[in-house]
Amino acid sequence: MTRTSRRRVAVTGLGVVSSIGTGPAEFAAGLRAGRSGARPITVFDTTGLPLNLGCEISGFEPRKWLDRLSADDLPRVAQLAVAAARMAVDDAAYDRAELAARRTLIGVGTSTAGTDSVERIAERLARDPDAGVDEFEARWTPAVGMSVAVARELGLSNVELATYATACAAGNYTIGDGFDAVAVGDVDVALCGGADGMSRMSYIGFYRLGAIDPVHCRPFDRERRGILTGEGAGMLVLEPLDDAVARGARIYAEVLGYGLNCDAHHPVAPHRDGVTACLRTALADAGVAPGDVDLISAHGTGTLANDSTECAAISAVFGDTPPRTVSIKSMLGHTMGAASALSAIASCLAITEGFIPPTINHVETDPDCPIDCVPNHSVAADLEIVQSNAFAFGGGNAVVLFGKN
Amino acid sequence: MPNPIITAWTAISPYGYGRAAFTDGVRTRRPVAAPGVVADFDIEARLGRRASPSMDRTSALAVSTVDLLLTEEGVRTDERTGVALESLAGSNATLFEFTQGSVIRRKPHLVNPALLPFSSMNSAAAQCAIWHGLRGPNATLAAGRATLPTLVRYVTRLLRADRASGMVVAGVEEYSEARALIAPYQGAGEVLGEGCAALFFAPGNWNRTGLAEVLATRTRLADGEPERALAATVREAMAAGGAEPHEVWGIAVSATDAAGYEMEREAVGMRVDRVVSPGQLIGDTGAAGGAFQVAALLGLADGMEDARGRVVLATSVDRTGMVGCVVLRLTGGSEGVN
Repeated sequence: MTRTSRRRVAVTGLGVVSSIGTGPAEFAAGLRAGRSGARPITVFDTTGLPLNLGCEISGFEPRKWLDRLSADDLPRVAQLAVAAARMAVDDAAYDRAELAARRTLIGVGTSTAGTDSVERIAERLARDPDAGVDEFEARWTPAVGMSVAVARELGLSNVELATYATACAAGNYTIGDGFDAVAVGDVDVALCGGADGMSRMSYIGFYRLGAIDPVHCRPFDRERRGILTGEGAGMLVLEPLDDAVARGARIYAEVLGYGLNCDAHHPVAPHRDGVTACLRTALADAGVAPGDVDLISAHGTGTLANDSTECAAISAVFGDTPPRTVSIKSMLGHTMGAASALSAIASCLAITEGFIPPTINHVETDPDCPIDCVPNHSVAADLEIVQSNAFAFGGGNAVVLFGKN
Repeated sequence: MPNPIITAWTAISPYGYGRAAFTDGVRTRRPVAAPGVVADFDIEARLGRRASPSMDRTSALAVSTVDLLLTEEGVRTDERTGVALESLAGSNATLFEFTQGSVIRRKPHLVNPALLPFSSMNSAAAQCAIWHGLRGPNATLAAGRATLPTLVRYVTRLLRADRASGMVVAGVEEYSEARALIAPYQGAGEVLGEGCAALFFAPGNWNRTGLAEVLATRTRLADGEPERALAATVREAMAAGGAEPHEVWGIAVSATDAAGYEMEREAVGMRVDRVVSPGQLIGDTGAAGGAFQVAALLGLADGMEDARGRVVLATSVDRTGMVGCVVLRLTGGSEGVN
């Protein structure tokens, strides 16, 4: 399949649950305002932990988004995924009966869905060996569960469906596959993105690696000290551009192309050459010259290693005058499997609404990060092409390009 | 572009190491002790001191099996060779150890940091890439017992879109006490097994003979009886692949018990004498089950003159209602292993 023989693919629906706003309008307002999602963690027990700051979602009402399924039957991560998927389909104004008649791909990316259930089972048994296995959690250990829940809530049967467990690049992995599935004609509609709930062990793991900032998340800043863990879900509706035009759908953006690769280098440390190669692959696939990219929504975790490695790769590809490069993780924390889905949604909203979200908590740019990170305040901008980066533990890289339609 | 092809496979299973051992076990239907563990699988002995002492058994099984795969004729790797793995929820034993290490401490954050990379669901795929320098797409997909058709679909799409020059595709699952505690609630079979089956997928323009051509894959989420949904899925996949019922040489089912076996066999709706059920031979291998289905079919067909050019099916039924079918055409390109 050459680039010219594939169908063009439009983004026509967005669904968001995040610590800075629910739904695309509220999320866009949060991005524009530079809202911070950081607050004390309440969803798990932080007793004995030296820090308790995270980007938790407050006031999430799963029942609002569930008709066929009951919130009580779903773990938090599945509630988030289903809510975002419902929102995205509603936002696309896709008739539900019509959607059910189409061939659809459902792909939800994640870092911790399934494994966090295993961890809660282990935690309960460690505290009380006689407590037995928590059956609810055990039923939800196969990570596919939340993707099935999305299909069940939407009443979809003619589906390709999977949970993409590609860690912190999972959102972009699903968007890439959704793009290909629509572009080659395997499906009529792709509903893809990612979801992760706050996870105690994920938080502890990052803390143990010395990768959590005790104050706030400040990507590209000289004083940055790491991530804040966060939670959220983002889902996008992708369909052939021609179909979207024919049904009079609102088109947020066109997916221009994407790139995937693996550093094959280190389990947790990012690698400049791998990231650089992935950026080049994505640009070539999209048929975009580096000089034509107007904005990069960076992986930008706020760790020392990520931000300097990412900026070095950007310099290698874009030269001395790279496009403005922002990190929405400064606002949302690191939402793991949802992170690149939320970054994709932010990219689409930036194109549609004509603004660049800021990198908040910024005081002084690190000389190792020679980019304009649009500190603290959003700016108005006419954006034609936006690139969204994602890099995962294990060296998996995934980069997607969106263009104005 | 012509359909992608499977050009090589191997397995580490309760039957032993390599494809000859697995093929022999499947052909003779040799019973294994319960649970179906891989005998003498010691991570350091197998992988040497380069392996982290904290590496999880799931990753180690995957790395070791891919190690064997890459020595098979029919594998050609380069800078764009990728990895795609099936997963249920990572290594349960490592997740248990990591979590319990936190709970027993007064300072719960003082967990063993060396375990962290191996507690991630994509650990096995990442380790395969790191060990073998595979820099293409690196994916881990979870679709329960229906992961095989989903993964084959994903990989063939990557190859058709020219996003990789070839893909290492594997299913891997470890046996552990932790998994044994949880598995009954996942609808797992009575006897658990472990192991890894690995396949190499090449694009259709591969200029050498392969073992099987991927004709079609289909999946569906049953909104009623899974048997009806599977029957419809098989019909669709056969039609999409241009395969006729009389061409079918063998079927591999995902079931781990007699009732499931009968259901899948009935749903296929055609008379086929050769039905293999690896889950009833080596135990329920969880996320690895689908890859073992293909391995079993390729093992049975290996060197069999009557299999050449015929069609084989792998069917899947997950307790969530996900069903699927993979349709392959045997090219009979390899020499017999015996």
